[in-house]
Amino acid sequence: MDWISTLLQAPTTSIFWQLVASGVAVGMIYATIAFGYQLTFATSKTLNFGQGEALMLGAMLGLTLLPYLGYWLMLPVILIFGMAQGAVVERLGVRPAIETKSEFGWIMATIALGIIFRNMAENIWGRDDLKFPSPLPETAIELGTVRILPAEIMVVVGALLMMAAVETFNRRSIYGKAFVATSNDIDAAGLMGIDTRRVITMSYAMSSMTAAFAGVLVAPVTLTGATMGAVLALKAFAVAIIGGLDSALGAIVGGILLGVIETLTGYYVSTGYKDVPGLILVLIVLAIRPAGLFGRRTIKKV
Amino acid sequence: MMKIRTFGAVAALALALTTGAFAAEPIKIGLSGPFTGGSSSMGVSMRDGVKLAVEEVNKAGGVLGRPLQLIERDDEAKNELGAQIAQELINKEKVVATLGFINTGVALAAQRFYQEAEIPVINNVATGTVITNQFKKPDYDTNYVFRTSAYDSIQAGMMAEEAVKGRGYKKIAILADSTNYGQLGREDLEKALEKLGVKPVAVEKFNIKDVDMTAQLLRAKEAGAEALLCYGIGPELAQIANGRAKLGWNVPMITSWPSSMQSFIDIAGANGNGVMMPQTFIEDKTLPKRAAFLEAYYKTFGVTKIPTPVAGAQGYDSVLLLAAAIKQAGSTDGPAIRAALEDLKEKVEGVVTTYEKPFSETDHNAISANIPVFGMVKDGKIVYARGEDAKNSGVVRKKEKATN
Repeated sequence: MDWISTLLQAPTTSIFWQLVASGVAVGMIYATIAFGYQLTFATSKTLNFGQGEALMLGAMLGLTLLPYLGYWLMLPVILIFGMAQGAVVERLGVRPAIETKSEFGWIMATIALGIIFRNMAENIWGRDDLKFPSPLPETAIELGTVRILPAEIMVVVGALLMMAAVETFNRRSIYGKAFVATSNDIDAAGLMGIDTRRVITMSYAMSSMTAAFAGVLVAPVTLTGATMGAVLALKAFAVAIIGGLDSALGAIVGGILLGVIETLTGYYVSTGYKDVPGLILVLIVLAIRPAGLFGRRTIKKV
Repeated sequence: MMKIRTFGAVAALALALTTGAFAAEPIKIGLSGPFTGGSSSMGVSMRDGVKLAVEEVNKAGGVLGRPLQLIERDDEAKNELGAQIAQELINKEKVVATLGFINTGVALAAQRFYQEAEIPVINNVATGTVITNQFKKPDYDTNYVFRTSAYDSIQAGMMAEEAVKGRGYKKIAILADSTNYGQLGREDLEKALEKLGVKPVAVEKFNIKDVDMTAQLLRAKEAGAEALLCYGIGPELAQIANGRAKLGWNVPMITSWPSSMQSFIDIAGANGNGVMMPQTFIEDKTLPKRAAFLEAYYKTFGVTKIPTPVAGAQGYDSVLLLAAAIKQAGSTDGPAIRAALEDLKEKVEGVVTTYEKPFSETDHNAISANIPVFGMVKDGKIVYARGEDAKNSGVVRKKEKATN
């Protein structure tokens, strides 16, 4: 068990903190996508299995617009595009399933839409992995003994700002209050005169908007290509399960937890087993707290 | 009467002309490779090299008086699609031979159909050592699988030699991707190092699409590695080069040949400079044959650089070898072409090398260990890594006696 003793001594060394820093950056990438799952799950108890593709579309469109608009002008276009894309997914894939009270129809429909979006992207942009130029310098900066890329810091800060903005919108604006009311009790919200159908469409639009923004944000760190979303979305799903499907805080904590566990396992155990402990954590959470670390436990009466 | 005779003569002449020069039935050649997807820069370069050679052969009158006709299929680097395409090319298109395969997995899935149909297939890019051994004697009477690329155990041997003998490093870390390609390459690397009496200080794995290489690199660094030997494809190799720069660890990096892919050059940018890889072909115009090839390629496809030069050059050469074999066989019959390839009498001047008896009954690899050189990434291009190779660029490195 010598790896345990290495682990115990490690915090004193710079390596541990280097691993944590890299893990946090990767974890926040997962968290941005998990945050999107959480938005739609809160209102409609459904989620977009094409969330990874929404992220990819944001990144690819951003890369295309970059030479014409520059980085900062490109961002609002991406946000609007993301909203439209999310609304389309909801109308085509989710609403029919909700209206026919189909329990699982939306799962197949959102997966199918995701595949269609990916194929479209392959036809438009090809399937090569491309480089997304970072608006920040590409040389690492040193924080104490830890070296980190400016783009990685941007992922963490940008993701937190984005989540804070969405949370503020939900708490302060009248639309946001309708949003929260629908999450709490969709039937009661409907009786209070809230158009819950529109709220659900809005939640999908916002979810894809965050994904598209996340795409632009993470693209300088990850590779940019039609298949970039697939692996990330799967990891984000694990994050959503760990953190809880209806908690924004859960997405952040779950993401960081998974990212850090991955890099620490890679270093202290073996890079071949990097992905295993994260999945074990998913199983443990499902066994002990099925609603996730920060999820609300609901009692379903039957 | 006269009129009729003249008419008959004209008609006969016309008939002779059409059958002789214009309507000669083309010789169908299959072409399978990934023209979209992660390995498409290799696939497209290979295809364009092949097209160029076919055009040249046809301009010079074709083979056996018949033009070559390419039947192109995109296998998307997918094994199952590669197998489907093989069946389509064999049964529906009735090709006389097939060129291609970038991916070892696709080659292994597809080439058994050619073996069964007794149709020769020339691998011009895929490097898995096992490819030409799949139907090797004595398990099989005849082997229809040939290759014009440098297989993995040649490349791994070169990488190990360069690190240990060339630069005198004793502490070496191996980083390999988790695919068949990476893990077979890792085995070859470990074997090659063992021959030199070196045990790697770290052997690490990464997955396709991995975002962060910090853990792998730190393990190699803490184990005291003086050099990294990496087996993978362009994008992930670039992530390693970038991760190395992020950690401020300026360690020499020697990789398998895909770091010459455009995706590596684009994604790694300045961090890729100095990375070395085995190459059978460098874009260099010293030899007239190579200069003509490069100029024709740039002009025909409107580029200033072949996306993956090695793939383009090997693709080009594979056509010349096949054409020479069909000519020698005097027919488009599969077994006859195979026999001709195994005993090629004509000296074929390609761009990688000049082929004199490139294949034999037991050796189906045209490239031997002495042919590849080390290339190095320098400001977005692949150049000779060693001064002496650059100096000797006018000398063709010919195949040594059987190596496989």
